[in-house]
Amino acid sequence: MTAPESSRRPRTRAQGPRLARRAAAGAPGLLVLLLLLVLWELGSRGGWLPIRFFPPVTAILATFARVLADGALPAHLGMTLLRMAAGGVLAGLVGVGLGLLMGYVQGLHRALRPLVEFLRPMPPVAVLPALILLLGIGERMKVAVIAFGCVWPILLNTVDGVRGVHPILLEVARNFRFSHGATLRKIVFPAALPQIMAGLRVSLAIAFILALVSEMVGATSGLGFFIIFAQRSFRVGEMYAGMVLLAITGYALNAGFLWVEGRVLAWHRESAGAVAV
Amino acid sequence: MSRGGGLVRGALPVALVLGLWEAALRNGLVGRLRLPPPSAVLAEWPGLLVSGELPGHVLTTLRAWAEGFALAASVGVALGLLMAFVPAVGAMLSLVVEVLRPMPSVATIPLAIQLFGLGDAMKVAVIAYAALWPVLLNSLYGVRGVEPRLHDVARTFHLGWWRTVSRILLPAALPVIATGLRVSSRIALILAVTAELVAGQRGLGAFLAETQLAVRTSEMYAGILTVAALGFGLNALFVALERRVLAWHRGATAGEAA
Repeated sequence: MTAPESSRRPRTRAQGPRLARRAAAGAPGLLVLLLLLVLWELGSRGGWLPIRFFPPVTAILATFARVLADGALPAHLGMTLLRMAAGGVLAGLVGVGLGLLMGYVQGLHRALRPLVEFLRPMPPVAVLPALILLLGIGERMKVAVIAFGCVWPILLNTVDGVRGVHPILLEVARNFRFSHGATLRKIVFPAALPQIMAGLRVSLAIAFILALVSEMVGATSGLGFFIIFAQRSFRVGEMYAGMVLLAITGYALNAGFLWVEGRVLAWHRESAGAVAV
Repeated sequence: MSRGGGLVRGALPVALVLGLWEAALRNGLVGRLRLPPPSAVLAEWPGLLVSGELPGHVLTTLRAWAEGFALAASVGVALGLLMAFVPAVGAMLSLVVEVLRPMPSVATIPLAIQLFGLGDAMKVAVIAYAALWPVLLNSLYGVRGVEPRLHDVARTFHLGWWRTVSRILLPAALPVIATGLRVSSRIALILAVTAELVAGQRGLGAFLAETQLAVRTSEMYAGILTVAALGFGLNALFVALERRVLAWHRGATAGEAA
């Protein structure tokens, strides 16, 4: 799915006409989206759509603005993001650290790979009840389930990235008599970074989902709690408002990650472009 | 390196972890109510499978999985191909797809409860929605990503639109679509268990929630093992199907060594 994006990247000239063409290409899409929203609005106001399932779009937006302004929604969003960050950082440290070692030390890879392959297919959601029993329904459980779900893409991508480092680079390190630590830090880690970032990006989506599920199962805060509690108390407008914020957050997280990735890997694209890999 | 030797060496760390786990429990380092010894879980598992408690839940989950996945696969492939082959439809629906896709799939669970209650329809709706995206996008990009050379081939042979689509574009896109289907099947299973865990009355997720609340710990772990086995089995099934259906493809592209 990244192929179309990357193939589009090199063409930077003729920005103006392309933008105009893109806007023209986007017009039918915008029309259909607006048409659907208007139909929803009219259907709901006209009584063809049951209002307790589909409140008018304008009412949802008004509710969205209200819960956003009174601070309820931002507070829940903050909790969700905090949990994601804690679990994600934990998974990142373990995944990248262990992945570097497993990729670098052949024996460690042979020893641990089967264990990883055994644990990885486990749907993290199924581990949730076990973690509740082990850690209670507090924050530790949520951070643990997010970390458990996120660690595998990071770990496996790091291992593959490290194992894919060009042998010549390692030879260079040996010729310069780099220590193992220096080789890992200065050669292996940077060379594996594009693939590590790819793993992190997959994990970002997983972290978001697991944070929400753990909040639906056992929490009194967070967006997952907010939307399921709104549904249980039949405040459907608030439930939709939460979903709107989730869509915006999901979009922003992905866009933000792509931006960071672009900055982190800017040197890489330049150097790789020079060698024409 | 022989496969058998690798297997033995690979099994060792797994055995070591299980051994340490067992030892820690026998020495009372962790309470048995929170973490049962692996031997107890393995002893419990066959009993649950035979007594009929687990198979019933497995069947419930599998049925929701099958219905949701079938819905997602048929709608996803049809819509994706339509968007790819009819540019006007692609342009019209692209923004709706872009707006809906970033929302995490589990966020639809409360909405599905509101619409369908706590029964099977709720699960099927949640599963179908979540599993729709990989199939749809892979069908769309599978066709759009077909090598330009193949378009040229079609033009050279003066193939009509229908023959270009059926003889060239669809077969070329099939591997990508198959990958989308496999990803979707996994997502469908995860969402089935998730929906049951959050709000289900029956099924594996509900079994996990129930045994966790009742602190029937070794049964709960047997349930987790069952979910893992199910995921493993479904994935293996799809990989095997892909190999069979796409055997020609590997042969055809082997020369290019992509």
